[in-house]
Amino acid sequence: MKIKGYNLPEDLYYEKNHYWVRKEGDILVMGMDDFAQQMAGDIVFVQIPFSGKKMKAGKKFAQVESGKWLGKVYAPVNGKLIEGNEELETDPAIINQDCYEKGWMYKIEPSDLNELNNLIHDPADIEKWLLEDIEKYKQD
Amino acid sequence: MELYNLGKVPWEDSQLMYHALAQLGRESLCLLSPSTPYVCIGFHQDVDQEVDLNFCRANDIPVFRREVGGGAVFLDGNQLFFQLILKENNPIAPKRIDAFYKKFLQPVINVHHRIGIPAKYKPVNDLVVKHRKISGTGAGEIGDCIVFVGNLIIDFDYDTMSRVLKIPDEKFRDKVRKTIKENLTTIRQELGEEKYRQWDEPTLNQMIAEAFDKLSGPLKPSYKDQEIVTKMKELEASMLNDAWLFQKGKRVAGRVVKVRSGLEVVQRIHKAPGGLIRAEFAVENGKYKDVNISGDFFCFPKDSVDRLATVIEDCPADNVSSAIKDFYQTNKIDIPGITPGDWMQVFKI
Repeated sequence: MKIKGYNLPEDLYYEKNHYWVRKEGDILVMGMDDFAQQMAGDIVFVQIPFSGKKMKAGKKFAQVESGKWLGKVYAPVNGKLIEGNEELETDPAIINQDCYEKGWMYKIEPSDLNELNNLIHDPADIEKWLLEDIEKYKQD
Repeated sequence: MELYNLGKVPWEDSQLMYHALAQLGRESLCLLSPSTPYVCIGFHQDVDQEVDLNFCRANDIPVFRREVGGGAVFLDGNQLFFQLILKENNPIAPKRIDAFYKKFLQPVINVHHRIGIPAKYKPVNDLVVKHRKISGTGAGEIGDCIVFVGNLIIDFDYDTMSRVLKIPDEKFRDKVRKTIKENLTTIRQELGEEKYRQWDEPTLNQMIAEAFDKLSGPLKPSYKDQEIVTKMKELEASMLNDAWLFQKGKRVAGRVVKVRSGLEVVQRIHKAPGGLIRAEFAVENGKYKDVNISGDFFCFPKDSVDRLATVIEDCPADNVSSAIKDFYQTNKIDIPGITPGDWMQVFKI
């Protein structure tokens, strides 16, 4: 789905701070969505925490830096980090080039796959949420 | 909002104070400066790669990793720090990074104007006089707060700054020092010897407080209470240790020193099958400058490498790959064992 210049694929799940989640078998893959990467500008660093790190839904578990701004990465679900995209350690700008494929950030073993239902997924909800955020960011 | 106008403090406190206030969720403005010098690295940096730790140890210069972005800096009492702590949901904080910096750098611009320096905002987060940076800033999200930190640079020790950085050789160090000097100015340089002395630390801090007061709402003078002291002690245990300082940072190919927004000085060494290539260059606003290539390899004709350097000089970074390939295709040159791919290892940014 393309809304006002931002591409948010409808088959993905979204955490409200603009991280996407894709189900791949029993695991989840997550990354930054197009809105977040455009707002952030050039990504210069992505923290890859150790495998096995516990993640609590809605809580910070890593950091990402762009334009001298150090921001947080929030866990979309409860679970455990099983892998980080090591290519981002040397070339974090991949996120700016391809945030949904090569720029994936983390793989997660969720405690309960049903928690995906707590994320934004319905196309109408995605559109509503994105339009609201576009407006919020425009107010600046 | 609370105002902590603390003047000179122990160097550790000049970092721990804002980390503590942010973790406690206390919206505030801190104005302070370190009583002794230290080096402060950005959250993502690798200290071993960035800082000459032997030099720092030998000269009693401590090193600290902050939870804020940006690069390694040498800090001392001639730099007056302002540290603004805002709740993430505070409506006065713009959500866009560029808008945030523009808004909260305005009070700092106003203070420079008041003392007679025509500083201007340069996106994303620089303050410049002509092309030279006059204040360094950075931001991070700590706890439930946004922290915006920066400095008024009364004077700057260019020699020590270039000395504390880990730099492979003295020639490149000279280049780094020269480039920093050309691109970073100070209140002292802008106002001259006599005038700059009028502006002491208490006066400048008072002006900064007045300028921020207009944006943030009334600032209430406050003192470090027990809650802050306890939090700072707790942070001291977690942030003043080797595990925190030496945590794995971003690995960078070669040596890259960011001087200001849009200007980096780079040295790279690449071992190609045909021999060792060494290059020094700057990247200014996306274009290669001052390209210098040397190394240990054969090339025919002899001036091929100088001609290649000329091709790369002023070339936009996005075009360098095709420029090098064109150079190989259109010139009768022979550099055995060194391909355009090897040059890209040296020049990719």
